Amino acid sequence: MDTLKQIDRLVSRARQEVVPVVDVADRVLWRIRTAGVGVKPPVPIAPLGIFAGLSAVAASIIVFLAIHAWMAMNNPMMELYRPVQVASLW
Amino acid sequence: MIREARTRTSESYMLGGIDLATGREYNKAVEDQERLDIRASCQGDQEAYRRLVERHQRQVAGLLWRFTRDKGVLEELVQEVFVQAYFSLSGYRGEGSFAGWLSCIATRTGYRFWKKQSRENAHYEINEADAVEQPEDTDEVTPQEAGQVLHTLLAQINETDRLVLTLMYFDGCSTEQIAERMGWNRAMVKMRAYRARNKLRALAEEQGIWETLGWIR
Repeated sequence: MDTLKQIDRLVSRARQEVVPVVDVADRVLWRIRTAGVGVKPPVPIAPLGIFAGLSAVAASIIVFLAIHAWMAMNNPMMELYRPVQVASLW
Repeated sequence: MIREARTRTSESYMLGGIDLATGREYNKAVEDQERLDIRASCQGDQEAYRRLVERHQRQVAGLLWRFTRDKGVLEELVQEVFVQAYFSLSGYRGEGSFAGWLSCIATRTGYRFWKKQSRENAHYEINEADAVEQPEDTDEVTPQEAGQVLHTLLAQINETDRLVLTLMYFDGCSTEQIAERMGWNRAMVKMRAYRARNKLRALAEEQGIWETLGWIR
């Protein structure tokens, strides 16, 4: 007999198997209740918003000052290059 | 045999998805009560959900028994299915039977369980199979032994192939139903089924299963 037919016979025998009885209703409801309890209340976002706003203002001031400082800054190597720039190469 | 199984499944769909194997009589009152219970559960009525669990746990356990042979694990998986179903109830549109919807969740839960086992490189299935007592009288193999032998054989192929064969063999699903249940391509499922059956045949021949189960010859 072909192996696949033998497997099919085995399958039809296995389908008669008695499945263990389970009763999970109580545990399912308990898990549902505890899952509900475990959910944390939503965190109020107003304080976070205020904090974020203050941080943004402080960061803007720092960026403004930093840009001005950057613009005012000279390249320390410029003093070294300047004579070379005016020298004739040939 | 598969054709026969498909007929059985289509019958169970026609009968509102109630598992005929449980011997529960189908009637309109049951379906109406179920619909009411689903609606009440959506509104947070846990006693209504308890009734749904009690009505369907046997069917879900029957399907998940093909994913594990350990009763403790089986109970955990069945619980997981019903907990997931509860939190997804709002997504149940009532287009198909509730039992069919639960079967989808159960199949995906079982498949995830196999994937997790595979990731953890657990040799649970094989070890479990080693513990099987081979029948002394090979003229007769009990359904439990047949189930165990098949479980051992199927455990040796990859999870996707195993799932396709498990659903075909034990849940009587067609390739179309498997594709629909898992959100896969039907052509892929057909190809998987063909290859998986060949793999299973090779494994059975290689391991001399038929010599052990002499009754089949």
